[in-house]
Amino acid sequence: MSVEKSTKTARGTVQCENTNLNLLKANDYVADIIRKKMTESNTLLVNITSSAGSGKTTLMQKTAQRLSKKLNMAVMVGDLETERDAIRIRETGIQALQIVTGGICHIEAQMVHQVLDQFDLDNIDLLFIENVGNLVCPASFDLGEDYRVTLMATTEGDDKPKKYPRMFLTSDMMLVSKSDLLPYLPFSVEAVTKDAREVNHDLEVIQISSLTDEGIEAWCDWLLDKVKHKSASMVQ
Amino acid sequence: MEFDKEKLDCLNAIHVRVGVLSNIEPRLLHNAYSAFHLSNPSYSCVDLHIESLGIKIECEHCGHITDVENYRFLCEKCNIPSKNIIQGEEMLIHKVEFKD
Repeated sequence: MSVEKSTKTARGTVQCENTNLNLLKANDYVADIIRKKMTESNTLLVNITSSAGSGKTTLMQKTAQRLSKKLNMAVMVGDLETERDAIRIRETGIQALQIVTGGICHIEAQMVHQVLDQFDLDNIDLLFIENVGNLVCPASFDLGEDYRVTLMATTEGDDKPKKYPRMFLTSDMMLVSKSDLLPYLPFSVEAVTKDAREVNHDLEVIQISSLTDEGIEAWCDWLLDKVKHKSASMVQ
Repeated sequence: MEFDKEKLDCLNAIHVRVGVLSNIEPRLLHNAYSAFHLSNPSYSCVDLHIESLGIKIECEHCGHITDVENYRFLCEKCNIPSKNIIQGEEMLIHKVEFKD
């Protein structure tokens, strides 16, 4: 029995198309689809990132209490396991959907895209993505958001912006959270702001406490302004 | 880009470029690649080359290119902040090499 020999040969060195194959290209493609959907429905999409335990869910609850009468808002919240955070957010009376990542340490655009149909986007002004608590991997994944907001808790230490630069580089706002604990901690708001702005000169900073309400009004005003701005740009 | 099995059998090396800002640790990627060989021994003769790239910014005002050190995104010539990153965010398969 003779085996037909292939005439194909692979020789030498091959450069991929355009030389470089971006390993996040698929994610970025889906992120653009999400961005387009958000534009069509005139929904502001805000990606909330931070380390675990910095107060993201408590801030979502606080924000819902303040803004739910002024805006239609909803939250999709990512965690490796459990529905606990979504349950906490729903207790404030707003829609919340849990994305269980099943061990993945970040949310990817495909995950967001898969659940978007569960929201009535035409009737939502403000949609939050509460990302998985992690300052590393979530920084690399564009989720089609209008703004990225990173919480930096006073309990974490003020050295994080230079340790996790990409997260601060890609953020629009840094919320210094748990400010009520400042009197008890060796944490300098000035130092953390200086480091963060060396990484990202345009970064806005607000000091907040979800317990004492410090900075919450400024945070909500910032959100209202961004929602208004997006609506205005749609009209134009 | 896709390769058929015949081509994959001739694979000699994969060249990857990772920027400092990609959050990829080359040593860990090498370890993961070694672990991959345990279940895919046919690829154990395929070398993985990882090129780590530092951060460079190009100033929007004066055009000067600065090597960013200590994550200070500042033009070294005119001292103006810049986020115009031209190198350092890569997560790329740069080149695929086949045996002669």
